[in-house]
Amino acid sequence: MFQGLIMGFGIAFSWTNLLFALIGAVLGTIVGILPGLGPAATISLLLPVSLKIGSPVTSIIMMAGIFYGAMYGGSTTSILVNIPGEAASVVTCIDGYQMALKGRAGPALGIAAIGSFIAGTIGVIGLTFMSPPLAEFAIKFGPPEYFALTLLGLLMATLLGEGSIIKGLIMVVLGLLLGAVGLDPVSGSVRFTWGFFMLQEGIDFVTLAMGMFGIGEILINLEKELTTELVTRKVTHLWPTVKDFVESKWAIIRGSFIGFFIGILPGGGAVISSLVSYAVEKKVSKHPEEFGKGAIQGVAGPESANNSAASTSFIPLLTLGIPGNAAIAMIFAALLIQGVQPGPFLISEHPDIFWGVVASMYIGNVMLLILNLPMVGLWVQLLRVPYAILAPIIVLFCCIGVYSIRNTVFDIWIMGIFGVIGYLFRKVGLEPGPLILAFVLGRILEPALRQALLMSAGSPWIFFQRPISGTLMGFLVCFILFQVVRALWKRLGRKA
Amino acid sequence: MEEFYLYIRRRKMRNQTRIFLAMALCMFLLYPVVGQAAEKFPTKSIEIDVPFAAGGSTDVLARMVAKYAPKYFDKQLVIVNKPGGGGVTGTESVVRSKPDGYTLYLGYGSGHDLVMPHFVGAAQLPKMPYDTFKDLLPVCRLSVHSVAMVIRADAPYKNLKEFIEWGKKRDQVTASVSTKAGSVDITFQALGKATGLKIVTIPFRGGADAVTAIVGGQTDCGGNHPSEIISHIKAKRLIPIGVALDSRDPAIPDVPTFKELGYNVVTVGSVKGVAAPKGTPPEVIAYLADRFKKVCDDPEFIKSMKDIGQPVMYLGPDDFGKYMKEGYEQFGKLIKEFNIKLE
Repeated sequence: MFQGLIMGFGIAFSWTNLLFALIGAVLGTIVGILPGLGPAATISLLLPVSLKIGSPVTSIIMMAGIFYGAMYGGSTTSILVNIPGEAASVVTCIDGYQMALKGRAGPALGIAAIGSFIAGTIGVIGLTFMSPPLAEFAIKFGPPEYFALTLLGLLMATLLGEGSIIKGLIMVVLGLLLGAVGLDPVSGSVRFTWGFFMLQEGIDFVTLAMGMFGIGEILINLEKELTTELVTRKVTHLWPTVKDFVESKWAIIRGSFIGFFIGILPGGGAVISSLVSYAVEKKVSKHPEEFGKGAIQGVAGPESANNSAASTSFIPLLTLGIPGNAAIAMIFAALLIQGVQPGPFLISEHPDIFWGVVASMYIGNVMLLILNLPMVGLWVQLLRVPYAILAPIIVLFCCIGVYSIRNTVFDIWIMGIFGVIGYLFRKVGLEPGPLILAFVLGRILEPALRQALLMSAGSPWIFFQRPISGTLMGFLVCFILFQVVRALWKRLGRKA
Repeated sequence: MEEFYLYIRRRKMRNQTRIFLAMALCMFLLYPVVGQAAEKFPTKSIEIDVPFAAGGSTDVLARMVAKYAPKYFDKQLVIVNKPGGGGVTGTESVVRSKPDGYTLYLGYGSGHDLVMPHFVGAAQLPKMPYDTFKDLLPVCRLSVHSVAMVIRADAPYKNLKEFIEWGKKRDQVTASVSTKAGSVDITFQALGKATGLKIVTIPFRGGADAVTAIVGGQTDCGGNHPSEIISHIKAKRLIPIGVALDSRDPAIPDVPTFKELGYNVVTVGSVKGVAAPKGTPPEVIAYLADRFKKVCDDPEFIKSMKDIGQPVMYLGPDDFGKYMKEGYEQFGKLIKEFNIKLE
């Protein structure tokens, strides 16, 4: 194993590979910062070019760099302008932007970069030493396990919101309904598509998130006086203080491990891990009331989680040949076209590719840290750009990004509609956070439930009989009981 | 007098200018016609639309073709992914494009061409926005993705016969399939009726998810195209035990067909061909078919395709057109014969 890693570093440290790792990291950061434009679309655009690079190792090193680099860049836009640069940075908007409003954009950006580095490195260490057993664990996750896991996540979704549980539930239900749009995978019938074939595969997550958060935010800002903004956005600290580090160290570590495990699941990935990490941080915090008002843990946790998930999502691809998400599927295709079959034999047949890519990820993470930390000062300067100039540019990039996903103008319209909805939600004080999480989870939850019941010929015991789903369900039951008992206790206490 | 003279001269010149301009205009207007007749197709890069997501098996096929195409095509092939509606929206955009041969559809013969139209009207499935056979011209067939039945290597059964014996003792056996009412699903439902087993097909979101399910042992057997499972077959994690084709699949030549095993379940699977919008000139079709044939004859291309589990099975425009219609009718017959319905 160490031999392999040493060989990998030998490959990764060649000038060509270093150069392409850097190109990947830079491109990834840019794609991450630009809202809407995601790593999957970028990799697909670059695929024909990458074939001309020659060696498969070099091209995969670059593509991997784009993928995890985007996780670094995504937080920047979220924090500075309250618009997610990347799907996995949606939740970072909530507290990151509040920090920026308080003049703490610098510490937010800094902690995001450092958390990303730590988590990214933890993920790569897992990739190095535990790939085969982790992959075996990942494929044990069948429909019952996904159902139990997403049900648990959904319960947390109601906790995502700030105010009342009722408002949170409204958003969760709306999110579930939006997730149900399109072809029902289990019965094959079409739901809520109003005759549009384009809606048959459902609403794309990026389209929804860019509309709700991106366009919605810009619309609400149109109401504000532009001059006042520049004053409130003054910068007090450029770097995170020691206090910031102390406050976010556990968030970073928890985020890293949440991302680590959700990342290896073929149905998981960076988006879900960031959302779950945020919910967990809010739950374990001694001051949950600070969340939504600029809690640094709300930035550190999710930004760590998405990076570690980005690294570990390579595990099922490289060890089993199972691509877990769109960007990884593109890398899968790139390998196939270059005559490399990702799968169980990759490590033995192409050790240069496996170890070269793994080693490059250690280097890439260092590159990204070096690249991103000094940029903090520059990004903060970006706040001085008048909103009248910034806003149209953001809208333009949202449109390009959303178009690039399926090469259709239809999705731009969908984004616009959700922009208006997002604007209205803000006006009436409904938060899109729980809706987004419910949307993502609902698309896994519902088919998983029905697939599981098909497997068991209708018996719900399947969720309790299998070890992993049984444990998760047990945890879920305890969680609900705990909440009920606590609520009753409080009521009794008040009476007495 | 002099003024008059000048006037005449100016007028003359104006006339000359007019005539010149008129001629220039004629030349300009005629130029494209004359130019086109002189210059042969193609004069610019050719867009190949894949109506499925990047990274899928059809996309990989397209990109593999594009990789070897520069040797044989005079212009570049550009792959554009237009996923949506199970392939319908991407195909529709080709149908609506200019029939000049510069926009082609790769994947002609997939589920939404051969299977989905049989279910229009059922389960709120909207009417197809085009006619698969009337609005598209076949260019050539590139490959056939057959439907293979796989089991896990550690399963208590090793072949179809043992599987049926094992399954008859239970209430139901489960099969993971890529999509509801797709070619794989139809084949497995038919197989259930033919063998007398109660096969419950469990649809997933696409081939990759279905592979994950059978690799993880979530279902008793799986239905997949060989290209999706070739690495797991090589790793001896999955064992293919039957193919629903008329003759054996060159991608997995050791695996018997269901017909050989005594069950008359024959489909064309998912066909991967190229089509052009109706009205594309025949000489353009001929050019394209000829160049695609050259790609398909390239030994390196054949080898790369074999490695990824996609057999190269070229057919020219006429034969491919006939094959498509037969394949369509075959699915229709199967659906009727075994009374397969959407729930």
